[in-house]
Amino acid sequence: MRRPGIRSLAGGAAGIVAGVIGGIALTSVSAASGPTPAAPGIDAVHIPPVLTLAGEPVRLRYAIVCAPRDDGEPCDGSGSVFVRAGQSGPFRQLTLRRGEDSNDGRYFVDLPREVASSRAGFSYYAVLRGGVNGAEITVPAGGEAAPHRSVPLGAAAEVPLGVHVFGRGRAPDERVVAAAWGSEVGQAGLVGSRELGFVGPSSFDVATDGSVAVLDQVNTRVERWSRSGVKATPVEVSGGLADFVLEPEGTMDVLEPPNRVSPAPVLRSFRGDGTLRWAQRLSDRTWAKLAAGPSGPVVQQQPSEQWLPVAEHGAALSRPAQAGHGRIGRPFASGREVVVERVGTGELRLAELAGDVVRSWRITSATPLGEVQLAEPYGNHLVVVTKTYTDDQSEYVTLVLDRSGVVSSFAVESLEWAESAPLARFRLAGDSLYRLGSTRAGLFVDRFDLEVSR
Amino acid sequence: MKAFLVAFGIGVVLAGATGAQAYHRFWSNCNYDAPTFMTTMTRDAAQDYANAARYEGYQWGGGCWNYDDVDSYPYDTPGDPSAHGEGGDCSGLTFKTWRESTDDWRDGRYYWRALRNVHGPYTAGDFRNGVGAPNHVIGKATAGVMDAFASSTHIGMIFTRSLYGGDQIVEAKCEACGTNIFYRTYRSDPSYGGVARWGWTG
Repeated sequence: MRRPGIRSLAGGAAGIVAGVIGGIALTSVSAASGPTPAAPGIDAVHIPPVLTLAGEPVRLRYAIVCAPRDDGEPCDGSGSVFVRAGQSGPFRQLTLRRGEDSNDGRYFVDLPREVASSRAGFSYYAVLRGGVNGAEITVPAGGEAAPHRSVPLGAAAEVPLGVHVFGRGRAPDERVVAAAWGSEVGQAGLVGSRELGFVGPSSFDVATDGSVAVLDQVNTRVERWSRSGVKATPVEVSGGLADFVLEPEGTMDVLEPPNRVSPAPVLRSFRGDGTLRWAQRLSDRTWAKLAAGPSGPVVQQQPSEQWLPVAEHGAALSRPAQAGHGRIGRPFASGREVVVERVGTGELRLAELAGDVVRSWRITSATPLGEVQLAEPYGNHLVVVTKTYTDDQSEYVTLVLDRSGVVSSFAVESLEWAESAPLARFRLAGDSLYRLGSTRAGLFVDRFDLEVSR
Repeated sequence: MKAFLVAFGIGVVLAGATGAQAYHRFWSNCNYDAPTFMTTMTRDAAQDYANAARYEGYQWGGGCWNYDDVDSYPYDTPGDPSAHGEGGDCSGLTFKTWRESTDDWRDGRYYWRALRNVHGPYTAGDFRNGVGAPNHVIGKATAGVMDAFASSTHIGMIFTRSLYGGDQIVEAKCEACGTNIFYRTYRSDPSYGGVARWGWTG
């Protein structure tokens, strides 16, 4: 073998240097997007006053969110609200005004008194514009076809909760699932670290036969606990914090969050054997909760802040079809819907609608109230689970309500060592309330019997 | 010449190897421009800024992105700051959105463009404890738009409250999650505290 000469060595070294530089340049150009920013689209924020008190003035507020300006100032937006007294008839256009403060939405309009105090409530939607390209967004997404609806709370039952005393949570009647962390059948998947936090099974549901199905998205499966044992069914899910419901005929719906490669949320419908029936993108950008509606899955979505159907009778609905059927309350098989509005720090307004308000409640608490995990009819009652909290404590409050007020109530300790989907901690099935919880040792589902005759 | 060409090919292959590629990946598009000192900082401008970072990915220790609505490096090794991918992490996104200084004793307003590569001096735990002149701890019940909830491991900003009592949170939570707006219940979670930036002007 011939010894290399100085020229060969120098040429080789120069070649490696040039190759590395060229390769880096090539990979940078091909793998990364160019430095020229594209203008993001428009988005919006609005919290509809779905349940109003008599004589309460109504100011509708909107945040218009568009591409950041190079001078660092907020988006220069505009828009109109189309509003009408009651739930039918022509809309009247009101121009939004631009305020000095943006904490509750910079753009606002005060509703005329005859609209705000209408006995039939009022309905409205907004068309908002902003940004250099004049992008436009309609809120709610269904616009005129499915406007926001606001109804008077009427003669609501007043439910003062006072100051919550922590540490008096009720013990469950039975722990129906107890699973150590792991990937074997009968165990529950856990992902994360002490530095990043831990995520466990994100949701669960209870079948009509009393078996408990847990979405173990970490191990891409649904595990089902029954008296006869545990069965695992593989499902192709992304592994993100998803919500989950079992439909009566055995279909499993998994509501996925956006992720690094799929920037929009998607509902996946699986047959009982775990094979995929279809996947459908949601109408809106964000979801709060998935539930089984009278004719298919329904999802509470933002920015519309409505319950939108995602499928009907087994068939997925397009995004416009979802938006066109938005409603303020969660629909139930009885034909009624339950409307929820958390107001301020410690107020919760609830109403059951059958066209108009059938019955309503106004719950007030001296201790701040957090999210409403569950609000569902139970015979002639309404079962509500909400969280109460201070800066360093929290507990769930369960209320069984009738037309006049509280029939029974109890607290449930919040045991949430691993994260789950936001409003997926409780399920109502039969005469019992079920709770998904976790500790350092593993996952559990507890059953609390309501002990109230329907 | 033959030796040069052979070696050039080897060099191109080497450049594609993980180490060299990692160092020069998305961050090769970023800059180190000085921020613009601002006298204003409104909550809705902060919404605009954080909302525009949606879809741009997550990078542990990162703080640089563009506006093409794609995470250019979606499969970086989680927790590896040397991956140099696109996006901020939770505290980097908050730092830039809140227009903070890299000097923790300054409480002025400094506007960092998206492609300016800066993470800032604070971890989520620092924000949780109100570390730094611009930051302070607030009661969770009073936290408003573009204030934040922080734990020892994560921070997310309140895009807005919602009907069911939770919050829409804009956050860079993990490599797989990317940066986006999610519905969360941090407000009532004892592991999270309320934190805010001093100096909103509207």
